[in-house]
Amino acid sequence: MKTLPTLPPSDEELVSKTLENKEMFGMIVDRYQSKLTRYIARLGVRDPEDQLDVLQEVFLKTYRNLNGFDTALQFSSWIYRIAHNEAVSWYRKKSVRPEGHLIADSEEILSFVSAKNESDDVVFDKTVNAKQVNQALLKIEDKYREVIILRFFEHKEYEEISDILKIPVGSVGTLLHRGKKQLATVLNEDSLRI
Amino acid sequence: MHSMNSKQKIKTPLKAQLFERIESEQVCPRPRWVFASRECVVWFLWFISVVVGALAVAISLFVVTHHQYAFYEATHDNWFTFAVEVLPYIWIFIFLFMLYTAFYNLQHTKHGYRYPVWMIVSSSIVLSFAGGAALQLFGLGYSVDKVLGDHMAMYMSQEKLERKLWQAPHEGRLLGQQLLSTVVPTSTIVFKDVHGVHWRMDVSELQEQDIALLASKRSVRILGKEMNEVVPIFYACGAFPWMLDTNTSLKEMSAERKTFLEWVYRHAHRAKDRVALLEGETFASTTLNKMSVCADIAAVRRMPKGM
Repeated sequence: MKTLPTLPPSDEELVSKTLENKEMFGMIVDRYQSKLTRYIARLGVRDPEDQLDVLQEVFLKTYRNLNGFDTALQFSSWIYRIAHNEAVSWYRKKSVRPEGHLIADSEEILSFVSAKNESDDVVFDKTVNAKQVNQALLKIEDKYREVIILRFFEHKEYEEISDILKIPVGSVGTLLHRGKKQLATVLNEDSLRI
Repeated sequence: MHSMNSKQKIKTPLKAQLFERIESEQVCPRPRWVFASRECVVWFLWFISVVVGALAVAISLFVVTHHQYAFYEATHDNWFTFAVEVLPYIWIFIFLFMLYTAFYNLQHTKHGYRYPVWMIVSSSIVLSFAGGAALQLFGLGYSVDKVLGDHMAMYMSQEKLERKLWQAPHEGRLLGQQLLSTVVPTSTIVFKDVHGVHWRMDVSELQEQDIALLASKRSVRILGKEMNEVVPIFYACGAFPWMLDTNTSLKEMSAERKTFLEWVYRHAHRAKDRVALLEGETFASTTLNKMSVCADIAAVRRMPKGM
Protein backbone atom coordinates (compact mmCIF):
# COMPACT_ATOMS: atom_id res chain seq x y z
CA MET A 1 0.00 0.00 0.00
CA LYS A 2 1.35 3.35 -1.06
CA THR A 3 1.70 6.06 1.59
CA LEU A 4 0.67 9.55 0.60
CA PRO A 5 3.51 12.03 0.54
CA THR A 6 3.25 14.32 3.56
CA LEU A 7 2.91 18.01 2.78
CA PRO A 8 5.49 20.31 4.28
CA PRO A 9 4.13 22.26 7.24
CA SER A 10 2.62 25.61 6.45
CA ASP A 11 4.29 28.78 7.69
CA GLU A 12 1.59 29.22 10.29
CA GLU A 13 2.12 25.66 11.55
CA LEU A 14 5.82 26.33 11.75
CA VAL A 15 5.18 29.44 13.83
CA SER A 16 3.13 27.53 16.40
CA LYS A 17 5.65 24.68 16.43
CA THR A 18 8.51 27.15 16.92
CA LEU A 19 6.76 28.55 19.98
CA GLU A 20 6.92 25.04 21.47
CA ASN A 21 10.36 24.14 20.17
CA LYS A 22 12.73 26.84 19.05
CA GLU A 23 14.69 24.46 16.80
CA MET A 24 11.76 24.58 14.39
CA PHE A 25 12.65 28.19 13.69
CA GLY A 26 15.47 26.81 11.55
CA MET A 27 12.86 25.69 9.03
CA ILE A 28 11.51 29.20 8.77
CA VAL A 29 15.05 30.49 8.23
CA ASP A 30 15.65 27.90 5.51
CA ARG A 31 12.38 28.75 3.83
CA TYR A 32 12.89 32.51 3.73
CA GLN A 33 16.64 33.13 3.71
CA SER A 34 17.12 33.28 -0.04
CA LYS A 35 13.82 35.10 -0.73
CA LEU A 36 14.60 37.78 1.81
CA THR A 37 18.24 38.09 0.72
CA ARG A 38 17.03 38.81 -2.79
CA TYR A 39 14.39 41.21 -1.53
CA ILE A 40 16.69 43.28 0.68
CA ALA A 41 19.26 43.33 -2.11
CA ARG A 42 16.61 44.85 -4.37
CA LEU A 43 15.90 47.40 -1.69
CA GLY A 44 19.57 48.41 -1.75
CA VAL A 45 21.45 46.21 0.72
CA ARG A 46 24.02 44.86 -1.73
CA ASP A 47 27.08 43.97 0.28
CA PRO A 48 26.92 40.27 1.33
CA GLU A 49 28.17 41.07 4.80
CA ASP A 50 25.55 43.80 5.24
CA GLN A 51 22.93 41.42 3.92
CA LEU A 52 23.87 38.92 6.60
CA ASP A 53 23.66 41.57 9.29
CA VAL A 54 20.26 42.75 8.10
CA LEU A 55 18.96 39.20 7.74
CA GLN A 56 20.12 38.29 11.24
CA GLU A 57 18.18 41.23 12.60
CA VAL A 58 15.15 40.32 10.49
CA PHE A 59 15.06 36.76 11.77
CA LEU A 60 15.81 37.75 15.35
CA LYS A 61 12.95 40.25 15.27
CA THR A 62 10.72 37.65 13.72
CA TYR A 63 11.61 35.16 16.45
CA ARG A 64 11.20 37.71 19.23
CA ASN A 65 7.78 38.79 17.92
CA LEU A 66 6.37 35.40 16.99
CA ASN A 67 3.55 35.79 19.51
CA GLY A 68 2.58 39.03 17.83
CA PHE A 69 2.14 37.39 14.43
CA ASP A 70 -1.33 38.23 13.25
CA THR A 71 -2.87 35.11 11.78
CA ALA A 72 -5.15 37.32 9.68
CA LEU A 73 -2.06 38.01 7.56
CA GLN A 74 0.05 35.64 5.55
CA PHE A 75 3.25 34.83 7.37
CA SER A 76 5.24 35.77 4.25
CA SER A 77 3.68 39.26 4.27
CA TRP A 78 4.60 39.66 7.92
CA ILE A 79 8.21 38.60 7.49
CA TYR A 80 8.57 40.69 4.32
CA ARG A 81 7.29 43.67 6.32
CA ILE A 82 9.98 43.09 8.95
CA ALA A 83 12.60 42.73 6.21
CA HIS A 84 11.40 45.89 4.50
CA ASN A 85 11.54 47.91 7.73
CA GLU A 86 14.96 46.51 8.60
CA ALA A 87 16.39 47.30 5.15
CA VAL A 88 15.00 50.83 5.27
CA SER A 89 16.40 51.47 8.74
CA TRP A 90 19.70 49.94 7.64
CA TYR A 91 20.20 52.42 4.84
CA ARG A 92 18.93 55.24 7.01
CA LYS A 93 21.48 54.31 9.66
CA LYS A 94 24.21 54.15 7.06
CA SER A 95 22.91 57.41 5.54
CA VAL A 96 23.10 55.94 2.06
CA ARG A 97 20.55 55.76 -0.67
CA PRO A 98 20.21 52.52 -2.60
CA GLU A 99 22.08 53.17 -5.78
CA GLY A 100 24.26 51.56 -8.37
CA HIS A 101 22.84 48.08 -8.03
CA LEU A 102 20.70 45.81 -10.13
CA ILE A 103 17.16 45.55 -8.94
CA ALA A 104 16.35 42.80 -11.38
CA ASP A 105 18.06 40.70 -14.03
CA SER A 106 17.37 40.94 -17.76
CA GLU A 107 14.73 38.25 -17.79
CA GLU A 108 12.76 39.82 -14.99
CA ILE A 109 13.05 43.23 -16.59
CA LEU A 110 11.79 41.81 -19.88
CA SER A 111 8.71 40.35 -18.26
CA PHE A 112 8.14 43.58 -16.34
CA VAL A 113 8.36 45.70 -19.48
CA SER A 114 6.00 43.42 -21.40
CA ALA A 115 3.55 43.06 -18.51
CA LYS A 116 0.26 44.61 -19.49
CA ASN A 117 -2.08 44.19 -16.62
CA GLU A 118 -3.78 46.34 -14.00
CA SER A 119 -5.54 47.89 -17.01
CA ASP A 120 -3.10 50.78 -16.94
CA ASP A 121 -2.18 53.04 -19.79
CA VAL A 122 1.58 52.91 -19.33
CA VAL A 123 3.31 51.06 -22.12
CA PHE A 124 7.05 50.66 -22.14
CA ASP A 125 9.23 50.69 -25.18
CA LYS A 126 10.15 47.02 -25.67
CA THR A 127 13.60 47.95 -26.94
CA VAL A 128 14.80 49.27 -23.61
CA ASN A 129 17.46 47.08 -22.06
CA ALA A 130 17.74 45.77 -18.51
CA LYS A 131 20.48 48.24 -17.61
CA GLN A 132 18.37 51.22 -18.66
CA VAL A 133 15.36 50.00 -16.70
CA ASN A 134 17.48 49.27 -13.63
CA GLN A 135 18.97 52.74 -13.75
CA ALA A 136 15.56 54.31 -14.24
CA LEU A 137 14.15 52.30 -11.29
CA LEU A 138 16.81 53.83 -9.08
CA LYS A 139 15.80 57.31 -10.16
CA ILE A 140 12.13 57.08 -9.29
CA GLU A 141 10.79 57.89 -5.81
CA ASP A 142 11.31 55.27 -3.09
CA LYS A 143 7.57 54.81 -2.50
CA TYR A 144 7.05 53.89 -6.16
CA ARG A 145 10.12 51.70 -6.41
CA GLU A 146 9.06 49.71 -3.33
CA VAL A 147 5.66 48.75 -4.77
CA ILE A 148 7.09 48.03 -8.22
CA ILE A 149 9.68 45.70 -6.68
CA LEU A 150 7.06 43.86 -4.66
CA ARG A 151 4.54 43.62 -7.48
CA PHE A 152 6.70 42.84 -10.49
CA PHE A 153 9.86 41.30 -9.09
CA GLU A 154 8.61 39.63 -5.90
CA HIS A 155 5.27 38.82 -7.57
CA LYS A 156 3.15 39.81 -4.59
CA GLU A 157 -0.59 40.34 -4.75
CA TYR A 158 -2.08 43.76 -3.95
CA GLU A 159 -3.33 42.57 -0.54
CA GLU A 160 0.11 41.23 0.31
CA ILE A 161 1.78 44.49 -0.72
CA SER A 162 -0.78 46.34 1.37
CA ASP A 163 0.16 44.20 4.39
CA ILE A 164 3.90 44.48 3.79
CA LEU A 165 4.00 48.25 3.33
CA LYS A 166 1.08 48.92 5.69
CA ILE A 167 -0.87 50.97 3.20
CA PRO A 168 -4.47 50.60 1.94
CA VAL A 169 -4.97 48.25 -1.01
CA GLY A 170 -6.29 51.16 -3.06
CA SER A 171 -3.05 53.05 -2.51
CA VAL A 172 -1.08 50.07 -3.83
CA GLY A 173 -2.83 50.40 -7.19
CA THR A 174 -2.35 54.15 -7.24
CA LEU A 175 1.34 53.93 -6.36
CA LEU A 176 1.90 51.24 -8.98
CA HIS A 177 0.24 53.28 -11.67
CA ARG A 178 2.07 56.48 -10.76
CA GLY A 179 5.33 54.57 -10.35
CA LYS A 180 5.09 53.10 -13.81
CA LYS A 181 4.27 56.51 -15.22
CA GLN A 182 7.25 58.07 -13.49
CA LEU A 183 9.43 55.23 -14.68
CA ALA A 184 8.28 55.72 -18.27
CA THR A 185 9.06 59.44 -17.98
CA VAL A 186 12.54 58.76 -16.63
CA LEU A 187 13.18 56.21 -19.39
CA ASN A 188 12.05 58.70 -22.04
CA GLU A 189 14.23 61.45 -20.61
CA ASP A 190 17.21 59.11 -20.57
CA SER A 191 16.66 57.98 -24.14
CA LEU A 192 16.37 61.61 -25.27
CA ARG A 193 19.63 62.39 -23.53
CA ILE A 194 21.31 59.53 -25.37
CA MET B 1 29.15 36.54 16.49
CA HIS B 2 30.16 40.18 16.38
CA SER B 3 33.71 39.12 17.07
CA MET B 4 33.77 37.11 13.82
CA ASN B 5 35.82 38.48 11.00
CA SER B 6 34.15 39.15 7.65
CA LYS B 7 35.23 35.94 5.93
CA GLN B 8 34.21 33.75 8.86
CA LYS B 9 30.89 35.52 9.04
CA ILE B 10 30.04 34.92 5.42
CA LYS B 11 31.13 31.30 5.56
CA THR B 12 29.17 30.43 8.70
CA PRO B 13 25.56 29.55 7.80
CA LEU B 14 23.04 32.20 8.82
CA LYS B 15 21.01 29.65 10.75
CA ALA B 16 23.98 28.73 12.90
CA GLN B 17 24.79 32.36 13.54
CA LEU B 18 21.21 33.02 14.48
CA PHE B 19 20.93 30.18 16.96
CA GLU B 20 24.24 31.19 18.48
CA ARG B 21 22.87 34.69 19.06
CA ILE B 22 19.58 33.35 20.37
CA GLU B 23 21.54 31.29 22.90
CA SER B 24 24.13 33.89 23.84
CA GLU B 25 21.66 36.77 24.10
CA GLN B 26 18.98 34.51 25.58
CA VAL B 27 16.44 35.74 23.06
CA CYS B 28 12.89 34.50 23.71
CA PRO B 29 9.61 35.25 21.98
CA ARG B 30 7.90 38.11 23.79
CA PRO B 31 4.81 36.95 25.65
CA ARG B 32 1.46 37.26 23.93
CA TRP B 33 0.11 39.73 26.50
CA VAL B 34 2.70 42.31 25.43
CA PHE B 35 1.16 42.48 21.97
CA ALA B 36 -2.38 42.23 23.25
CA SER B 37 -1.85 45.07 25.71
CA ARG B 38 -0.18 47.24 23.09
CA GLU B 39 -3.24 46.79 20.91
CA CYS B 40 -5.49 47.56 23.88
CA VAL B 41 -3.55 50.75 24.62
CA VAL B 42 -3.89 51.94 21.03
CA TRP B 43 -7.64 51.25 20.99
CA PHE B 44 -8.02 52.84 24.41
CA LEU B 45 -6.21 56.00 23.22
CA TRP B 46 -8.43 56.03 20.14
CA PHE B 47 -11.49 55.71 22.36
CA ILE B 48 -10.32 58.53 24.64
CA SER B 49 -9.66 60.72 21.60
CA VAL B 50 -13.16 60.11 20.30
CA VAL B 51 -14.73 60.76 23.72
CA VAL B 52 -12.79 64.00 24.25
CA GLY B 53 -13.54 64.93 20.65
CA ALA B 54 -17.23 64.29 21.31
CA LEU B 55 -17.05 66.43 24.42
CA ALA B 56 -15.43 69.22 22.41
CA VAL B 57 -18.24 68.90 19.88
CA ALA B 58 -20.84 68.93 22.66
CA ILE B 59 -19.43 72.12 24.16
CA SER B 60 -19.01 73.72 20.75
CA LEU B 61 -22.62 72.82 19.92
CA PHE B 62 -23.75 74.28 23.20
CA VAL B 63 -21.77 77.47 22.62
CA VAL B 64 -22.85 77.84 19.01
CA THR B 65 -26.52 77.01 19.54
CA HIS B 66 -26.96 78.77 22.86
CA HIS B 67 -24.91 81.79 22.17
CA GLN B 68 -27.08 84.83 22.28
CA TYR B 69 -27.13 85.40 18.55
CA ALA B 70 -30.64 86.69 19.09
CA PHE B 71 -29.11 89.88 20.43
CA TYR B 72 -26.01 90.22 18.32
CA GLU B 73 -26.92 93.75 17.18
CA ALA B 74 -26.99 94.74 20.82
CA THR B 75 -23.42 93.66 21.43
CA HIS B 76 -21.65 93.83 18.08
CA ASP B 77 -21.52 95.92 14.95
CA ASN B 78 -22.40 93.00 12.72
CA TRP B 79 -22.85 89.25 12.72
CA PHE B 80 -19.29 88.62 11.55
CA THR B 81 -17.63 90.46 14.47
CA PHE B 82 -20.06 88.69 16.79
CA ALA B 83 -19.14 85.26 15.38
CA VAL B 84 -15.41 86.02 15.52
CA GLU B 85 -15.67 86.89 19.21
CA VAL B 86 -17.89 84.08 20.37
CA LEU B 87 -16.61 81.07 18.41
CA PRO B 88 -15.31 78.41 20.82
CA TYR B 89 -11.77 78.37 19.40
CA ILE B 90 -10.25 76.32 22.19
CA TRP B 91 -12.83 73.56 21.68
CA ILE B 92 -12.52 73.66 17.93
CA PHE B 93 -8.76 73.27 18.37
CA ILE B 94 -9.24 70.43 20.87
CA PHE B 95 -11.66 68.74 18.50
CA LEU B 96 -9.19 68.96 15.60
CA PHE B 97 -6.36 67.71 17.79
CA MET B 98 -8.47 64.80 19.01
CA LEU B 99 -9.42 64.06 15.42
CA TYR B 100 -5.74 63.79 14.59
CA THR B 101 -4.97 61.55 17.59
CA ALA B 102 -7.98 59.35 16.82
CA PHE B 103 -6.76 59.04 13.24
CA TYR B 104 -3.18 58.33 14.38
CA ASN B 105 -4.25 55.68 16.87
CA LEU B 106 -6.69 53.97 14.53
CA GLN B 107 -3.99 53.79 11.87
CA HIS B 108 -1.69 52.16 14.40
CA THR B 109 -4.10 49.40 15.33
CA LYS B 110 -3.34 45.97 13.86
CA HIS B 111 -5.35 46.49 10.70
CA GLY B 112 -5.75 50.25 10.72
CA TYR B 113 -3.44 50.73 7.74
CA ARG B 114 -5.89 48.89 5.51
CA TYR B 115 -8.41 51.71 5.62
CA PRO B 116 -8.01 54.83 3.50
CA VAL B 117 -7.38 58.12 5.26
CA TRP B 118 -10.76 59.60 4.29
CA MET B 119 -12.56 56.62 5.80
CA ILE B 120 -10.68 56.86 9.11
CA VAL B 121 -11.07 60.64 9.32
CA SER B 122 -14.73 60.66 8.38
CA SER B 123 -15.55 57.81 10.77
CA SER B 124 -13.85 59.73 13.58
CA ILE B 125 -15.75 62.90 12.65
CA VAL B 126 -19.08 61.06 12.48
CA LEU B 127 -18.45 59.34 15.85
CA SER B 128 -17.38 62.58 17.50
CA PHE B 129 -20.38 64.46 16.16
CA ALA B 130 -22.82 61.69 17.05
CA GLY B 131 -21.29 61.39 20.52
CA GLY B 132 -21.18 65.17 20.89
CA ALA B 133 -24.81 65.55 19.91
CA ALA B 134 -25.80 62.81 22.36
CA LEU B 135 -23.79 64.40 25.17
CA GLN B 136 -25.27 67.79 24.41
CA LEU B 137 -28.73 66.24 24.51
CA PHE B 138 -28.08 65.37 28.16
CA GLY B 139 -26.79 68.87 28.85
CA LEU B 140 -23.18 67.79 29.28
CA GLY B 141 -21.87 70.59 27.06
CA TYR B 142 -23.32 73.19 29.37
CA SER B 143 -22.24 71.36 32.56
CA VAL B 144 -18.62 70.85 31.50
CA ASP B 145 -18.36 74.41 30.23
CA LYS B 146 -19.75 75.74 33.49
CA VAL B 147 -17.64 73.52 35.75
CA LEU B 148 -14.49 74.50 33.86
CA GLY B 149 -15.46 78.15 34.00
CA ASP B 150 -16.15 77.96 37.73
CA HIS B 151 -12.89 76.24 38.57
CA MET B 152 -10.42 77.64 36.06
CA ALA B 153 -9.76 81.34 36.10
CA MET B 154 -8.17 81.18 32.64
CA TYR B 155 -11.09 79.39 31.04
CA MET B 156 -13.62 81.69 29.38
CA SER B 157 -16.85 79.79 29.78
CA GLN B 158 -19.99 80.70 27.93
CA GLU B 159 -21.35 82.20 31.10
CA LYS B 160 -18.25 84.34 31.67
CA LEU B 161 -18.29 85.51 28.07
CA GLU B 162 -21.97 86.39 28.26
CA ARG B 163 -21.40 88.27 31.49
CA LYS B 164 -18.49 90.11 29.90
CA LEU B 165 -20.62 91.03 26.89
CA TRP B 166 -23.66 92.13 28.89
CA GLN B 167 -22.10 93.84 31.86
CA ALA B 168 -20.99 96.90 29.88
CA PRO B 169 -22.87 99.95 31.18
CA HIS B 170 -20.85 102.41 29.07
CA GLU B 171 -22.13 100.57 26.00
CA GLY B 172 -25.70 100.50 27.27
CA ARG B 173 -25.88 96.96 28.60
CA LEU B 174 -26.46 95.75 32.13
CA LEU B 175 -26.84 92.35 33.67
CA GLY B 176 -28.33 91.79 37.10
CA GLN B 177 -31.53 91.71 39.14
CA GLN B 178 -34.07 94.14 40.40
CA LEU B 179 -33.45 94.88 44.04
CA LEU B 180 -36.16 97.36 44.99
CA SER B 181 -39.15 98.86 43.34
CA THR B 182 -41.49 101.68 44.18
CA VAL B 183 -45.21 101.03 44.23
CA VAL B 184 -46.98 100.36 40.95
CA PRO B 185 -47.05 102.19 38.56
CA THR B 186 -43.35 102.60 39.00
CA SER B 187 -40.93 104.62 36.95
CA THR B 188 -37.75 103.99 38.95
CA ILE B 189 -36.28 100.85 40.45
CA VAL B 190 -33.03 99.87 42.12
CA PHE B 191 -31.12 97.38 40.06
CA LYS B 192 -28.12 95.39 41.27
CA ASP B 193 -25.67 94.38 38.53
CA VAL B 194 -23.38 91.32 38.59
CA HIS B 195 -20.58 93.41 40.08
CA GLY B 196 -22.82 94.38 42.97
CA VAL B 197 -23.29 98.01 41.87
CA HIS B 198 -26.71 99.42 42.73
CA TRP B 199 -28.23 101.38 39.86
CA ARG B 200 -31.10 103.79 39.93
CA MET B 201 -32.94 102.70 36.87
CA ASP B 202 -35.56 104.64 34.94
CA VAL B 203 -38.05 102.07 33.67
CA SER B 204 -40.72 104.45 32.44
CA GLU B 205 -40.33 103.35 28.86
CA LEU B 206 -40.42 99.63 29.59
CA GLN B 207 -43.42 97.57 28.66
CA GLU B 208 -45.56 95.63 31.08
CA GLN B 209 -43.91 92.30 30.39
CA ASP B 210 -40.51 93.90 30.98
CA ILE B 211 -41.64 95.21 34.35
CA ALA B 212 -43.02 91.77 35.19
CA LEU B 213 -39.72 90.18 34.19
CA LEU B 214 -37.82 92.54 36.45
CA ALA B 215 -40.25 91.89 39.28
CA SER B 216 -39.63 88.14 38.97
CA LYS B 217 -36.17 88.80 40.55
CA ARG B 218 -34.57 86.61 37.93
CA SER B 219 -31.30 87.63 36.27
CA VAL B 220 -32.17 90.06 33.51
CA ARG B 221 -30.33 91.78 30.68
CA ILE B 222 -31.11 95.41 30.27
CA LEU B 223 -30.55 97.45 27.15
CA GLY B 224 -30.54 101.19 27.55
CA LYS B 225 -28.23 104.04 28.32
CA GLU B 226 -25.98 105.04 31.18
CA MET B 227 -27.13 108.51 32.06
CA ASN B 228 -24.34 109.62 34.35
CA GLU B 229 -20.74 108.49 34.50
CA VAL B 230 -20.31 109.36 38.19
CA VAL B 231 -23.59 108.36 39.75
CA PRO B 232 -25.01 104.99 38.66
CA ILE B 233 -28.15 106.00 36.85
CA PHE B 234 -29.41 103.94 33.93
CA TYR B 235 -32.22 104.51 31.49
CA ALA B 236 -33.78 101.15 30.58
CA CYS B 237 -35.16 100.63 27.11
CA GLY B 238 -35.71 96.90 27.15
CA ALA B 239 -35.45 93.94 29.52
CA PHE B 240 -34.62 90.42 28.36
CA PRO B 241 -34.30 87.21 30.36
CA TRP B 242 -30.85 85.81 31.13
CA MET B 243 -31.09 82.50 29.35
CA LEU B 244 -27.98 80.70 30.49
CA ASP B 245 -29.56 79.62 33.76
CA THR B 246 -32.31 77.77 31.94
CA ASN B 247 -32.38 74.98 29.43
CA THR B 248 -33.32 77.14 26.48
CA SER B 249 -34.34 75.44 23.28
CA LEU B 250 -33.55 76.73 19.82
CA LYS B 251 -37.26 77.45 19.39
CA GLU B 252 -37.20 79.68 22.44
CA MET B 253 -34.05 81.37 21.11
CA SER B 254 -35.85 82.10 17.84
CA ALA B 255 -38.77 83.51 19.77
CA GLU B 256 -36.33 85.70 21.68
CA ARG B 257 -34.82 86.89 18.43
CA LYS B 258 -38.30 87.79 17.16
CA THR B 259 -39.11 89.68 20.36
CA PHE B 260 -35.80 91.52 20.18
CA LEU B 261 -36.33 92.54 16.55
CA GLU B 262 -39.84 93.74 17.31
CA TRP B 263 -38.47 95.71 20.21
CA VAL B 264 -35.74 97.31 18.12
CA TYR B 265 -38.10 98.26 15.28
CA ARG B 266 -40.61 99.65 17.71
CA HIS B 267 -37.95 102.02 18.98
CA ALA B 268 -36.70 102.75 15.50
CA HIS B 269 -40.23 103.65 14.35
CA ARG B 270 -40.65 105.83 17.37
CA ALA B 271 -37.61 107.74 16.21
CA LYS B 272 -39.27 108.26 12.82
CA ASP B 273 -42.45 109.34 14.50
CA ARG B 274 -40.43 111.74 16.59
CA VAL B 275 -39.01 113.39 13.51
CA ALA B 276 -42.50 113.76 12.11
CA LEU B 277 -43.67 115.20 15.37
CA LEU B 278 -40.77 117.58 15.51
CA GLU B 279 -41.69 118.82 12.06
CA GLY B 280 -45.19 119.48 13.26
CA GLU B 281 -43.95 120.97 16.51
CA THR B 282 -46.79 119.40 18.39
CA PHE B 283 -44.99 117.36 21.09
CA ALA B 284 -43.89 118.39 24.51
CA SER B 285 -40.11 118.66 24.78
CA THR B 286 -39.83 116.41 27.90
CA THR B 287 -41.51 113.47 26.17
CA LEU B 288 -39.34 113.96 23.14
CA ASN B 289 -36.19 113.74 25.23
CA LYS B 290 -37.21 110.48 26.80
CA MET B 291 -38.28 108.93 23.53
CA SER B 292 -35.07 109.95 21.90
CA VAL B 293 -32.94 108.02 24.42
CA CYS B 294 -34.05 104.55 23.28
CA ALA B 295 -34.23 105.52 19.63
CA ASP B 296 -30.57 106.41 19.77
CA ILE B 297 -29.04 103.39 21.52
CA ALA B 298 -26.50 101.29 19.59
CA ALA B 299 -28.77 98.27 19.07
CA VAL B 300 -31.39 100.42 17.35
CA ARG B 301 -28.84 102.36 15.32
CA ARG B 302 -27.21 99.15 14.05
CA MET B 303 -30.42 97.80 12.54
CA PRO B 304 -30.68 98.06 8.77
CA LYS B 305 -32.84 100.95 7.64
CA GLY B 306 -36.10 100.63 5.77
CA MET B 307 -37.63 97.65 7.63
